[in-house]
Amino acid sequence: MKQLIQKLTETFSPSGFESAIREVIKQEVQPLADEVRVDALGNLIVRKGAKAKNGKRIMLAAHMDEIGLMVSHIDENGFIRFSNIGGIRTGGLLSGRVQFTNGTQGLIGVERDLFAAKSPTFSQYYIDVGATSAKNCPVKIGDVAAFKRPFLELGQRLVAKSMDDRIGCAVLIEALRALKTSPHELYFVFTTQEEVGPRGAATSAFGIDPEIGLAVDVTLTGDTPKSKYMAISLGKGPAVKVKDTGMLSDQHIVEWMCSTAEKKRIPYQREVLDGGSTDAMAIQMTRSGVLAGCLSVPCRYVHTPSEMVDYEDVQNSVKLLVALISAPLNL
Amino acid sequence: MTEILPFLKDLISAPGLSGYEDPAANIIADKWRPLVHEISRGTLGSLQGLRRGTGKEPRPSVMIATHMDAIGLMVTGITDGFLRITRVGGVDVRVLPGTPVNVFATGAGASGTGATGAVTSAGEANVRPPLPGVVAQPSAQLLPDEARDGPVALEHLFIDTGLLPQKVSELVRVGDLVSFAQPPAELSGETLTGHSLDNRASVAALTVCLEELQTRPHVWDVWAVATSQEEVGAIGAAGSAYKLRPTIAIVVDVTFAKGPGASDWSTSPLGKGPTIVIGPNIHPALHKSMKELADKLEIPYTLEYTPSHSGTDGWATQVAAEGIPTLVIGLPLRYMHTAVELVALKDIQRTGRLLAEFIARLGPDYMDKIVWDK
Repeated sequence: MKQLIQKLTETFSPSGFESAIREVIKQEVQPLADEVRVDALGNLIVRKGAKAKNGKRIMLAAHMDEIGLMVSHIDENGFIRFSNIGGIRTGGLLSGRVQFTNGTQGLIGVERDLFAAKSPTFSQYYIDVGATSAKNCPVKIGDVAAFKRPFLELGQRLVAKSMDDRIGCAVLIEALRALKTSPHELYFVFTTQEEVGPRGAATSAFGIDPEIGLAVDVTLTGDTPKSKYMAISLGKGPAVKVKDTGMLSDQHIVEWMCSTAEKKRIPYQREVLDGGSTDAMAIQMTRSGVLAGCLSVPCRYVHTPSEMVDYEDVQNSVKLLVALISAPLNL
Repeated sequence: MTEILPFLKDLISAPGLSGYEDPAANIIADKWRPLVHEISRGTLGSLQGLRRGTGKEPRPSVMIATHMDAIGLMVTGITDGFLRITRVGGVDVRVLPGTPVNVFATGAGASGTGATGAVTSAGEANVRPPLPGVVAQPSAQLLPDEARDGPVALEHLFIDTGLLPQKVSELVRVGDLVSFAQPPAELSGETLTGHSLDNRASVAALTVCLEELQTRPHVWDVWAVATSQEEVGAIGAAGSAYKLRPTIAIVVDVTFAKGPGASDWSTSPLGKGPTIVIGPNIHPALHKSMKELADKLEIPYTLEYTPSHSGTDGWATQVAAEGIPTLVIGLPLRYMHTAVELVALKDIQRTGRLLAEFIARLGPDYMDKIVWDK
C-alpha cells in the first residue's frame, strides 16, 4: 500500500486540474470495478455490486484534487506572481519547490521585507522558474502548480504533499481491493474540487442519489508541541467524525461506525473538528438530504507541503471501511 | 391570549440541539397530531405535518417552515475532569460563563450497556437524567495575559460537572451534547425569557396558526414543517423544500428586537407584531400580499429589510429544486443566542393569526395573480 500512496501523492493535480491523478486512479480501479465513469465535473465514479434486498445505495467519497497555486502575473524578468487554489498557508511557502502540470519546476521566493514584524502576505511571494524574461518563461497566466516534495517514510509515519486527500483515495482503492462481498450498491467516488468548496461531491452525489454518504478525508490532530487543543492523535486509530465546522454527522452513522469499530476491535477516536469540512457536507445537502458521515485519517501539518499520517491508522482505516460496507445495516 | 404558553415553556425546556432534534420533535408532534392530517419526518429529521386543503387535486401547497433545533455546546475533550467545549450553532460566548447546562453523557459508564455505549442521541439519552453542570472560566490571574480583560474566549472555558476526573472519563465522550439548562421565566408585560426561544417561539406561532385553521377552511394544502439543523446551515429546510416541493414557502424565524444598545435601523420593536421582510430572499408579490392583508386586518407589523442573506431557512428554500417563491416573517426577540432570549407572547399570537388568515385567503388562482413586476 505504501507504493500506492507514493504514486498517488507524487502526482500533481490541483483542484480543477485533476486529469493526471484521475488517470493514475483509473488504472488502479478499472480491474476491480463493475462500472467506471467520469461525470461533468471530472469526478471518477466507480460502481461495485448491486443492491441486494437488505442493501443500500452507498456513496464513498475521497477527493483526488490537492491545494495548489495559479499563475496570476509574469513580470518582465520572468518572475511569476501567483494566487492560491484552496487553503494554502503562507508559513510554509518560502524556498519551497513547486511543479506545474506541464512539468516546469520552480521555487518560491519572497520580497525583501521578510524581516518586518508582520509575516509576508501572499502577494509578496513569487515563483522563480529560472526564466530571465516574460518571453522565455515556460508557463503562462492561468497555469497551475502544486508543491513538489518526495514521499518519505519516517518509521511508522508517512510524509508527503497532498496526503490531503490522496490518503483517502488510497484507503478507497485498498478497500475496493479487499472487499469480498457486500449487499450494497457501492459507489467509490474520487471527487474533484473539494479544496475550493466541496463541488465535485455535490454533483456526483446528485447523480448517484445515495441513501448513505461517507467521506474519507484527513482530520487535524492536537498532538504536536503547543498545538491547538484537539482530542485526536496520530497512531490511535482512524477518527469517526461527530462534527466539524461545516456539518454535523448523522447520529446514526456515527453510532454505526463506532459500534462496527468496537465489534471488529479496531481502535478509533471520536472527532470534533474546529476548522474545516469535507465532501460529506455536500453529500448531506443533496436533494432531500442524505445520511452522511466521515471516516477521518488523522494527519499532522495539513495544507503544508509535508503532511504526516500514521501507517497503522491508514491500515485500520481500510479495515474499518471494509467492515462497514461488507455487512447489511439498519439505520 | 396566553394559552400557547404552557406548550412553549415545555418546548424550550427540551434539548433538541441541531442534528439531534428528537426531544423537541416529539413534543411538537404530540401537539400537532390532532391539528394535521398526516405527520412524517424528513430524511434529516425535519417534522412535516400536512393539512389537506379543500381545493381539487392537484392542489397548490404552502410550506410554513419554523426551525425547531436549538443552539448549544458539544464536548471536544476532557482535561483533568473538566469538559472542553465547542459551539453547536452561533452561541454568544460572551455571556456563556455561569450558564447552567445539561451534559448528555453517552460513555459506557453512563449507559451501563457495556463498551459500545449504544446511546448517542440526546433524544435517547434524555431517558437517563443528564449530568448537570455549569460553564466556568478560570480566575483572571490564571488566564494568559491577553485573555484577562473582557469576555473570555471559548478555548479557556470549561464545564464543571462536580465529578471526580475518573468518573468524568467513564461517563463523558468526545461529541457528547450539552444543552442550556436555564429554566424559562415569565416576566412582566406578557413576556417570556429562556433559551431556545430562537426559534421555538415561531414553532409556537405556527401552532397557533394550525389551531386557527381548525375552524377556517382553506383551499391550499398546508405543510407545517419544524425544520432541523437551521443553526448549522438551514440543512433540514433545504431537504424538506426539495422533497415537498411546495408552491410557495413562508419561513418564520426570530429577528433582533429593539433593546439596550440596538440601532434604530437594524432592529424591530418588541410587542408590536411580527416583521414582514423584504429583500432579495423574498418574492415581492408575497411580501405585498402579506402586507396588504395585515393592513386590512389591522394586525400590527413592522417592515424589515435584509439586503442579502436573511439568516433564516428562507435562504435555502428559495433556491431548492427549481426555486420556490419565499417570504420571511420575523418574530422580534432580544438577546439572541444566549440562555436568556426574550419574546413578547402577543407577537406569537399575532404571527399565528396572520399566517392563518393568509392561508385561508389563498385561492386556487393565487399563483396566476402574483407577478414579479407591476
